[in-house]
Amino acid sequence: MGYATFLSLIIIIIYVITILKKGEKMSKLIKVISLAIVGLFSTLLVANTVFANEVNVFSARHYDSDVQLYEKFTAKNGIKVNVVSGKDKALQKRIKEEGKDSKADIYITADAGRLGAFQAEGMFQKGASSAALKKVVPANFRSPYWVGIAKRARIIYYNPKTVNPSWNMSYENLADPKYKGRVVIRKSSNIYNQSLVASLIKNNGEKNTAAWAKGMVNNFARKPTGNDRAQILAVAAGEADWAVANTYYLALMLSGKKGAEQQAAAKKVMPFFPNQDGRGTHMNISGGGILKHAPNKANAVKLLEFLLTPEAQQHIVNNTFEYPMIPGVKANKLIAQFGLDFKQDLKTKVSNYGKLQAKALKVMNEAGW
Amino acid sequence: MLVAIPIFTVFLSFFDTTGNYLDLLKDTFLLKYLSNSFLILLGVLSLTFIFGVTSAYFVSFYKFPGSNFFKWALILSFAVPAYIYAYSLVAFFENYGTAFSILTFLFGEGDFNKYIPKFDGLIGSMFSISFSLFGYVYVLTRASFIFQSHNLIEVGKNLGLSSYESFFKIILPSARPAIVVGLSLVAMETLSDFGTVDFFSISTLTTAIYNAWISFDDLTTANQLSFVLLFFILLLFVIENISRKGAKYHQNSKGNKPIPKIQLVGGKSIFATSFCSILFFCSFIFPVSQMTYWTIKFPKYFQDINFWSLNMNTLLLVFLSSLFLIIFSFMTNYGNRVSKNKLISFLSTFSVSGYALPGIILAVAFITFISWFSDLLSSIFGINSFKNVFIGSVVGLIIAYFVRFFSLSYNGIKSGYLKINNSIDENAYLLGYSKFKTFFRIHLPYLKTNILLVGVLIALEIIKELPITLILRPFNFETFATKAYSYAAQDLLEAAAFPSLCLIFWASIFILFISKYILSEK
Repeated sequence: MGYATFLSLIIIIIYVITILKKGEKMSKLIKVISLAIVGLFSTLLVANTVFANEVNVFSARHYDSDVQLYEKFTAKNGIKVNVVSGKDKALQKRIKEEGKDSKADIYITADAGRLGAFQAEGMFQKGASSAALKKVVPANFRSPYWVGIAKRARIIYYNPKTVNPSWNMSYENLADPKYKGRVVIRKSSNIYNQSLVASLIKNNGEKNTAAWAKGMVNNFARKPTGNDRAQILAVAAGEADWAVANTYYLALMLSGKKGAEQQAAAKKVMPFFPNQDGRGTHMNISGGGILKHAPNKANAVKLLEFLLTPEAQQHIVNNTFEYPMIPGVKANKLIAQFGLDFKQDLKTKVSNYGKLQAKALKVMNEAGW
Repeated sequence: MLVAIPIFTVFLSFFDTTGNYLDLLKDTFLLKYLSNSFLILLGVLSLTFIFGVTSAYFVSFYKFPGSNFFKWALILSFAVPAYIYAYSLVAFFENYGTAFSILTFLFGEGDFNKYIPKFDGLIGSMFSISFSLFGYVYVLTRASFIFQSHNLIEVGKNLGLSSYESFFKIILPSARPAIVVGLSLVAMETLSDFGTVDFFSISTLTTAIYNAWISFDDLTTANQLSFVLLFFILLLFVIENISRKGAKYHQNSKGNKPIPKIQLVGGKSIFATSFCSILFFCSFIFPVSQMTYWTIKFPKYFQDINFWSLNMNTLLLVFLSSLFLIIFSFMTNYGNRVSKNKLISFLSTFSVSGYALPGIILAVAFITFISWFSDLLSSIFGINSFKNVFIGSVVGLIIAYFVRFFSLSYNGIKSGYLKINNSIDENAYLLGYSKFKTFFRIHLPYLKTNILLVGVLIALEIIKELPITLILRPFNFETFATKAYSYAAQDLLEAAAFPSLCLIFWASIFILFISKYILSEK
């Protein structure tokens, strides 16, 4: 920070000199204002500098509960956690461009596809999955470069008044022409859809998946619009019989955090875990990795390890309604009531989502999704 | 120069070979992106023109019930950013949304969802953007109506023109520079909008650029698309310039007497009042009510907010940026006026295009440029960590805002200068005033209203600004806009309500604080 402070001061001084030089003609007000600016900048710079024991997090997850968790971490270890949150790709761009000057230690995001893609660009260093973490996190949900923090399933929702899925219904079945005009799902630009379609490409091949995507588009009840929750609401309102959305959206509505009407609407919809006689339901993760140029690597490891302690996991699942990553932690009861013994797709490595992301988008775009 | 940098960065490697994103785009969606952008632009320009000019005409020339209230109330629409408008629109009309709650409250349980109109994202974006931007057209047009030389109107009367005829033949044409400035601001903001179209998941040129560059790392395609975007805007300017070729809009400084307002009666007055009421309701009352309703319904989201630091951060950015922008706009405008230097004139024309560049693209271009420059410094002079001064710091934010909003500020000051007849300068020189003295003694007092107007416009833009702040901000630094966004991103629009309300509140304070200057009729 030494250089930075120094340089900013020089810039400020140059600026002030320019102002004051012309100042013979300028009003006093402007002089006063420019002095005030200098004051502010200096305070800001000083305020920005010191904090030896810290860890810096760039996060594309926006949960307030994550910030509360970081505060717990600070209370416990005395390590201050600094956070910048933002849109996934934009944050990644900033980290890449900052290069070796980057102060970011950990990058946290939802969706394994994103983690994998960032890893492929060489932005993570090994060490995210420490010995302690390897013991508790299943191999499918981690790599040497990043580790899953929580799980979510992308499932089917249906209207129990109008349809009744057989126990072995699959994502593939949703493209069946008999559901014409009865399916809702969000746009292809959404990363959750891209990961789901990537997993279909991995399992069924690109050609079959392209045909499936066309079938899906034919079955759409409306032009894709809104987020995952809007799809669930469309089923509740009778606009469609089937929706595809992540698990935590329904739990969020059931929790009452979105009001009584949404809570009542959520109760009209049933969750369904597809592909039970095959590979299992599509799973995805929120996860984080340690960045290549992390200045506080040791603290970063500590933070990741903390996030996977039972205490932190319990906090996460109770606030975000995701599934816990480690054994011995109970999912929130709003999620647990859907059933916890469904077959999860542990066969398709989540790292494939990143690799097949572009193909998935292409398949969907070509189908007119 | 500073402002031109990101634009150069965008054009860098423009002629490189095409990456694969463009092929994908060409095959599938490029036309759709273009047509989406074009449709939104067309819709927004028409709506803002109708809203802005009509309301400005009513309140400037006529008296009708509420006319004095609407005069300032209509500018409050500035306080609501398009993305917050979009949050309200979706929340109100979605299945089991606020409209559903209201109907249930009024008529008891029922299946109301199918009767509630559903907004297509395209229409939703159009309305959100129009309601939040028509204020530009309203304020500038109104200012021009008010300062329209009284003599012109008198001439119209003497020629026996009806009020319709004099509106279309005299009032509208002579307000044209103001309307055009207003509409071009609207056009640029619309094309570069990211928050609203992203919220509605509408693919436009801007989102295509974002995807090409940031998701696919295909800088070449991104540049080519940016070129299309800039071309769009350039085209608008060129058309405008051609169509008013030769016309001069200097006004005689005498004869700016306030125009006596005509009292409207009967149907006309009902129409004027209801038009303004509906406009005011839709643009301001509706989003504010939706946000207030949520804030009251979900009081526990209060606790999570660090109210004090949000206030401080937002106001700090506003204050510093407005100051820089206004000072520099004066320097360039005045430079243009006195020096007639071709280079300065060219540079300032060029640099205004910063406004046309979407904030999110500009922010990334800024980061790319600073990194490149910093690496250069480090390899040649061994100065390290230069980029840390600008990326992730308040200094960097202010410079990025500067690049983004220079056009706004420059044009605002310029429109004032256009009205100061050059003969005034010449008279001042004859009186022995130096150029500086002319500036401080004559231009500055003359342009007081413009400075305030511009200052507040910048302040409003910065309070509402989202993508640049989001990506360039320091650690643990939140503004009302980023806080609202982050709640919206976790699908808790209910929690976004309070920061949104605060944002609207501050913006309204700014507006009311200067409204008497904006609305001054002297």
